[in-house]
Amino acid sequence: MRSIWAVAVNTVKQALRLKIAAVFIVLLFVLLPVMGLKMTGDGTLKGRMQAFVSYGLSLTTLLLALLTIFTAAYTLTSDVKDKQVYTVLTKPIRRFQFVLGKLFGVILLDAGLLVLFSVIIYSITILLPTLLHADNDQIAQVRNEFFTARASLTPVEPDISEELNQAYNKLKQDGEVPAGVDENPIARRNYRDELARRIGLRKRAAVVGEELLWEFNNVKPEDPNQDLFIRFKYDVAVNPQDLSIYSKWVIGDVRQLRLGTSIETPLYSLERKDLIRTFHEFAVPADAVAHDGYLALAFLNVPLNDTVVIFPLEDGLELLYKADTFTANFIRAVLLIFVRLVFLAALAVFAGSFLSFPVAILLCLSVFTMANMSGYIGESYHVVGAQPNGLYSYVLKPLIMLLPEFDQVSPSKFLVPARLLSWSALGWLSFTTVCLKALPLVIMSLLIFTYREIAKVIV
Amino acid sequence: MEYAIETFSLTKIFSDWWGRNRVVAVDGLNLKVRTNEVYGFLGPNGSGKTTTLKMLLGLLHPTKGKALILEGDATDPQINRRIGFLPEESYLYKYLTARETLDFYGQLFKLPARVRKMRIEALLDMVGLKAVANRTVGTFSKGMARRIGLAQALINDPELLILDEPTTGLDPIGTRQIKDLIIELAKRGKTVLLCSHLLADVEDVCDRIAILYGGRIQAEGNVRDLLRHSDKTEITTGRLSPAALEKIKQTLAEERAEYTIGSPLDKLETFFINIVARAQQQAVPTSGAESRTQISDFLSAKTDERARREAILNQLVSASPSDEQTATTDTQNTQPQPAPATPADEDLLNRLTEQVDSKPVTMQPTKAKPEPATSDQPDKSILDELTGRPLPDKKNAHPGDSANA
Ligand SMILES: Nc1ncnc2c1ncn2[C@@H]1O[C@H](COP(=O)(O)OP(=O)(O)OP(=O)(O)O)[C@@H](O)[C@H]1O
Ligand SMILES: [Mg+2]
Repeated sequence: MRSIWAVAVNTVKQALRLKIAAVFIVLLFVLLPVMGLKMTGDGTLKGRMQAFVSYGLSLTTLLLALLTIFTAAYTLTSDVKDKQVYTVLTKPIRRFQFVLGKLFGVILLDAGLLVLFSVIIYSITILLPTLLHADNDQIAQVRNEFFTARASLTPVEPDISEELNQAYNKLKQDGEVPAGVDENPIARRNYRDELARRIGLRKRAAVVGEELLWEFNNVKPEDPNQDLFIRFKYDVAVNPQDLSIYSKWVIGDVRQLRLGTSIETPLYSLERKDLIRTFHEFAVPADAVAHDGYLALAFLNVPLNDTVVIFPLEDGLELLYKADTFTANFIRAVLLIFVRLVFLAALAVFAGSFLSFPVAILLCLSVFTMANMSGYIGESYHVVGAQPNGLYSYVLKPLIMLLPEFDQVSPSKFLVPARLLSWSALGWLSFTTVCLKALPLVIMSLLIFTYREIAKVIV
Repeated sequence: MEYAIETFSLTKIFSDWWGRNRVVAVDGLNLKVRTNEVYGFLGPNGSGKTTTLKMLLGLLHPTKGKALILEGDATDPQINRRIGFLPEESYLYKYLTARETLDFYGQLFKLPARVRKMRIEALLDMVGLKAVANRTVGTFSKGMARRIGLAQALINDPELLILDEPTTGLDPIGTRQIKDLIIELAKRGKTVLLCSHLLADVEDVCDRIAILYGGRIQAEGNVRDLLRHSDKTEITTGRLSPAALEKIKQTLAEERAEYTIGSPLDKLETFFINIVARAQQQAVPTSGAESRTQISDFLSAKTDERARREAILNQLVSASPSDEQTATTDTQNTQPQPAPATPADEDLLNRLTEQVDSKPVTMQPTKAKPEPATSDQPDKSILDELTGRPLPDKKNAHPGDSANA
């Protein structure tokens, strides 16, 4: 343990004294305050703060990620190349301890720098309303919609398999299924997927005069006096003239209406006009939630419009309510970044355990880039994977699954919409990233380094 | 423990990624270094010395054979704890200061902070770097780095010290210090494996030597045994008057003995050159540099003056300074062709030889104990601190004693 610690401290000294870290530190020290004062977002205070937190954290993540990759790859490869290992590994230290020491050193450095820069970002964020002399309205909005951590509920996707079967059989009976599709399993699957997509879309679309209803269970706001937030985005079939949609919303326990029983919880209704294809949010008092946690949302496509209104699949509609503080959420978001850096450190140490510095860097940057577009890669995989193909199913798919999905769960995704990143979600993400993805890399690097011929020159 | 280092037909063959370009760096080496001996490991460039050390220390895997170090495996921390190693060049972390460097290595031995601090100061003092202890070693000159490298190898008070050309880059005082240190450590029951090109160094301190060429041991044994010609007698005296010399010659003539009279040569050097030349004559394959004493043609073209001086120097090295030709065997292409001597050259040569002749005879037939040059001597108290106990005098100690101690 003591030798691991000695190597770790030595690694931190290396990164600091060789000014590898200095470049990144100076860059962040200059850029963060500038960003705080210069970023305007959409012009509102909330927009500015969202922009600052989002770009500030992204920039910190990116620079620390690069720093991690460079330091971890350099520290191991340079020791081999410049032969310091000759003297170190002939001391009573096992090779795995040496590699672990390097890894811990990089992680230690990351932890230190991450704390430093998160404190800076946090302080600037907290001070920003004062620095910008914001008025009270804006401060109130920021308090409700930014300085909070809101749990989010999305509508449960309705089960459409029954409907799909019926529709398919009906088409088949009517002879509308193209020839050859029913016999060929691949063609049939594609055809049915398309059919399912249409049925799903129909469920999220309202023609003029039609109503859409979403029902939520288990809505548990901390305090009935607080507000609930409905966040939504419209898509349309035909662009309206002013790119806006008129709407009427009813929120509350709509079962009271149907059954004709006495009204116990209030029903709220409001009319709005909103731009299409952008996120909007409105607040409703939390007492609209029924005692058993039930809440319904009804949207009416009012006749002032003359187009079909569609709520996009992933993020068309969301119900948000305060579940934790901004500070706690921020800390968890920073931990999420840390977990990411741990993965990258493991990756770079792995690469450095058997490659030369440039090759190791190349490998790490490729993986890093792919992890940052994992969603895109996953999609393209699905397109290709439609054909059953051994290479894809047994080689590429597991490899893609081993990639961490940096883009899918970035910290700004939580902090910008003030969405709760729960401990359990963070725990799961950390577990998958560290134990399932980083740990195998670490184990491999330990094995490689232990059995490698260290004095053999790699040209 | 009889042997501190033992190898059994140790072989290392380097090949490139495709398995081509095979280089036999070490070839069936059976090296036996006894406990508490100073063993000299000699050989021309590329003869496989460093490769052998790397295999001993587990930095390279042998292609064939086995290496035992302190009766164990060099990857075992329990073994490493007892070894000190100074590599060919001092590979140091350039960004650490001298003191931090030693502290880092000390930590790897899990030395308690107090002991570490004490040893570091003692070692810095010993290698003469106390004044620059807080400078980063990246700024050190080659010799200074070498000294830190040596200090680093000693921080754990090793039983077995492996030194790969310890004196490269060192000034004469530093060289002398290292030699004194080795002798002192040997007295204290340590084993030293010394690789060096500086034959005089080896001759001064080593009990036994091996000469390596092409990855094989060409000669091995006790330094004095190897150098002694049992069918010859050598008498070394102070300067003799011409009359006395004449008397001796007469006596020798009566004995019908063949004789040479001159100043003693740097004998090990001759021997070394002989061994290498013989190996070359037998066309022993080597993956290292061939020993050529001739300068490349393309270089000599413009440097007549230098070539001439080179030739003189070669004559001085290979030929006896007096009129008789001694040990050097004639080999067709490796011997330097003495440049046709111009009168001026002869003159120079004579003056040079005269100087050699008039030098007082210094070569002692016994192993030279270095003169106690007060400032150069390793600080005894430091060594006592390092070992923590006074050790029996090496020469009186029974070999087994030190192993059990
Ligand atoms: N990693 C390697 N890959 C290929 N060949 C190597 C490697 N290391 C050493 N060699 C070759 O092995 C031979 C022995 O090298 P080694 O370094 O052991 O020589 P040496 O006796 O220490 O020489 P020197 O006196 O110059 O230090 C040389 O021909 C060298 O080119
Ligand atoms: Mg060497």
